[in-house]
Amino acid sequence: MNIRPVRVGDLMGMQACNLQNLPENYTMKYYLYHAMTWPGLSYVAEDENGRVVGYILAKMEEDLPEGDEPHGHVTSISVLRSHRRLGLAKKLMIQSQEAMAAIYQASYVSLHVRKSNRAALSLYRDTLGFTVRDIEKKYYADGEDAYAMRLYLKKTDDSAIASTATR
Amino acid sequence: MPPQTPQPNPKRALPNKESGLFRELLHLYESRQLKKAIKTADTILKKFPEHGETLCMKGLVLTHLGRRDEGKDLVKRGIRLDLTSHIVWHVFGLIQKADKDYDGALKSYHQALRFEKDNQNILRDAAHLQTQLRLYDQLLDTRIILLRLRPNLRQNWIALAVAHHLAGDLQAACTVLEQYQRTLKNVPPHDVEHSELLLYHARILEDLGAHSQALDFLDEHARTGAIVDLVALAEARARLLSATGPPDVAEASWRTLLKQNADNVDYYRGLLRVRCLDLGKLSLSILAPTDPAALGLLVELSDEFPRATALRLLVLRAVPASSDRFTALARAHLLTGLHKGIPSLFASTKGLYTDTVKRDTIERLVEGFKDAEDRGEPLDGDVGKRDPDAPTTYLWTLYYLAQHYSALGAHQRALALVVTALQHTPTLPELHTLRGRILKRLGDLAGAADAVDAARRLDGQDRFLNTKSAKYWLRAGDVARAGDVLGLFTKKDAPSPGQDLEDMQSLLYLLESGAAEQRLGRLNLALKRYHAIERVFSDFEDDQYDFHGYSLRRSIINIYLSMIKWANSLRAYPAYVAAALAASEIYIRVHDDPALVKLGSAVSAAEEKKAKKKAKKAAAKAQDAIKQASSANANEDKGLEAQPAKDEDPDGTKLLTDPAPLDRAWRFLAPLRSLKPASEDARAAQALNRAKSLDPENPDLHPCLLHFRRTCTSPSLPPPHGLTSRNCPPLTQLLPSEEEASSEVLNARFLQLHARDARAILSAAKGARVIGAPVEEVEGIAMGALADGVEMDLKTARAILDFLRKLSAPRADEFRKACDTQFALSTLFKTPDELAAFRAEGVPIEDAELIA
Repeated sequence: MNIRPVRVGDLMGMQACNLQNLPENYTMKYYLYHAMTWPGLSYVAEDENGRVVGYILAKMEEDLPEGDEPHGHVTSISVLRSHRRLGLAKKLMIQSQEAMAAIYQASYVSLHVRKSNRAALSLYRDTLGFTVRDIEKKYYADGEDAYAMRLYLKKTDDSAIASTATR
Repeated sequence: MPPQTPQPNPKRALPNKESGLFRELLHLYESRQLKKAIKTADTILKKFPEHGETLCMKGLVLTHLGRRDEGKDLVKRGIRLDLTSHIVWHVFGLIQKADKDYDGALKSYHQALRFEKDNQNILRDAAHLQTQLRLYDQLLDTRIILLRLRPNLRQNWIALAVAHHLAGDLQAACTVLEQYQRTLKNVPPHDVEHSELLLYHARILEDLGAHSQALDFLDEHARTGAIVDLVALAEARARLLSATGPPDVAEASWRTLLKQNADNVDYYRGLLRVRCLDLGKLSLSILAPTDPAALGLLVELSDEFPRATALRLLVLRAVPASSDRFTALARAHLLTGLHKGIPSLFASTKGLYTDTVKRDTIERLVEGFKDAEDRGEPLDGDVGKRDPDAPTTYLWTLYYLAQHYSALGAHQRALALVVTALQHTPTLPELHTLRGRILKRLGDLAGAADAVDAARRLDGQDRFLNTKSAKYWLRAGDVARAGDVLGLFTKKDAPSPGQDLEDMQSLLYLLESGAAEQRLGRLNLALKRYHAIERVFSDFEDDQYDFHGYSLRRSIINIYLSMIKWANSLRAYPAYVAAALAASEIYIRVHDDPALVKLGSAVSAAEEKKAKKKAKKAAAKAQDAIKQASSANANEDKGLEAQPAKDEDPDGTKLLTDPAPLDRAWRFLAPLRSLKPASEDARAAQALNRAKSLDPENPDLHPCLLHFRRTCTSPSLPPPHGLTSRNCPPLTQLLPSEEEASSEVLNARFLQLHARDARAILSAAKGARVIGAPVEEVEGIAMGALADGVEMDLKTARAILDFLRKLSAPRADEFRKACDTQFALSTLFKTPDELAAFRAEGVPIEDAELIA
């Protein structure tokens, strides 16, 4: 297993992984838009043959209301069923969060999850420490509600990478 | 063309009132107040119905309102009335660009620039087209003009540097960036876009080979905090230090990265390389480092990063197979995976199987676990302490072993293990999908689909299982069922599940569905899917366009340049190659045998009718959706691009009956070859030559070579482009001369050389057919595949049967029966009646063991 920052050549693999796994799908232009705008925020997990088996597609929230702190948003995250229980989602999420804090000084990260998706809910809440902030009615195309979740980020100034970078 | 001073059109000048209205029209268009814009245009046109610029503007606004044809007609009329106006050409260019006619649009912009050479909007649009069309010399000229016009605009500097870069002049790009940086004052702290620009600058220095300069540059800007992407910064430093720095400093830089992300294989590779140890080209499936020093380093690292899975496998690769250490490490690795129930344990471990000693050790270990579990003993040897997870560990042990034996070709044994596991726990979806995979390998495609569908039904919320099940139904030829299954997750308002997947650019679906239709003989529908794949790829190419402006404005360049490279090689992606080969094969078959067109669409008249009806309904639904959207608001801006048009050929019949199938085939294949188009035969010879140089013994090549020789030399066929075997040099490079060896002799030699290889036997039979041997002789060669000692796999057997049937060979059914016996569990060789009986009986899981 290899976890690394996204490259343009991964986007088709990411799109395939998303289509195989989740009901919310996007055309290539949207993946390109994420990678071209926030190149440091998205990550992939690839297997021994170089196939994308998990990814996090992330961005910074744009058009913030006056006075709002900059914050990141997870557009989509998933890991193929065949590659669960390896802790990939957590590892992907952590890499992306640290990049949000370091590059964009994000104070928190937000995401949406289907009310019925218990597995994802427990990953975000129990494993990653997100909390539910709000319920967004009929957020999804099929009319299902979403939990809007949030996780506050720690300052990363004292991380290993930050200290060597400014040495 | 000599430079001319354009004469202003006397009809262009408007009186004061109307010229004010025209300016207002431009403003209304810019702010997309489209309805008002039309009114204003009409006011001008009432008095000046032949005012070209107004006509064009009205045409542009109408296009935005969705009245495309009307709008385009107006624009064309407007141009004819005022050929020397930059506005009319600019408008025309915008519309051509929206039609994806990039060449035409660029020509229009060039026209516009003749009459208004410093118009920055037009220059910028031209630059984007020049980038899209990869006309880098032109691009450079445009960027230089733009920078001269507005040197105080940051993006003009960056754009010039990028143009130099694209044109291949890195040094010039570097110089432009240096000049730009000298003009910079007061960069705000923590400016992400500035940081990206610095990283781009450093990358150019690195690519120029100026490693220490690049390093100093990075360190200087890291110290001030100007570079904020710390991972990108640390990766660049590690690369540069590895090229220049003392090894211990370089090593430390990779270790820093590993502390940030211990699962990044690139970092381990970098670290090993510093110590002159090579990890091979890719992550794990390539050979392990053999140097004992590498092992030492990897072991040391795995103590530091115990949770890094990649590292654990690297160590397993590096440890000598016969050592006790390997056994101990493998045991720990397997036990962890089995206890945790990691589904991918086998997939990640099988990379070690290239070493057969390791493979056997692993087999012994897992068999040992199973024995212990069968006896109720704990696995970790701690007698008396019962493993709390024992039941699931037992299942995952069986799951591992079944995959193991199936991968080694012992499918029956694998099947028996899965059946045991299923009797123990029938509710674990993975066991059902594995059973399906093994049945697929045994050739029972329908049974396989049934098994995977059982997995899907156990967890209806999981799209992964849904996709897998649909894929198996398609492989089994049940297209309707696949559609129903897929429809559980596709959008409810889509015209059909397939349409939604096509809109979402699912290459997996399009490929599998195309192949399924092709196997069913519905060549029209297969072509439909392959053309959809072609469209997805050309959409990807179009997707780049907006970033030529966007990325430069935001000064995020490194990834933008990788997007350009990606787009250049898009057509080499496996999905495109597969679609292009499959589609061109159909077109070539249709060319060779036009009767196929009738066959293709008459496979099952009733079924076809049903499919047509369905397609029609879907198209109507799509049309309704479009209508609804457009009637919702007649004043709404629909953008410049065309809305999806009604599909005039929903079942692909027009594609299949195209009068020029070879052109179609060539258009699919053209992006695949890098040679310049020459004469047809030169192309064919070059392609064959290249194929031969890649894999001289490939059996598929043999009949192609004979076919080419026959085409070139046959007296009954007109010699193509005046070529004969004597003046056709490529042919003599490919084959010995006719005098040295006749085609009959070549074919006999080939057969003799590969007498035990079923694939080669098929090729020899094809070769015999190409050179005109009688059917009995061709058939005789093919039947040779059944002889003792010949190795024939399922796929080849099926291909030979298909070949014999196409030939209408009398012994085709004899061949089928023999295969049905030889591949007992496969359903590929059953007649439709036998298949129906087989399916009706069904094979309950409990009895499957008996078969196994």
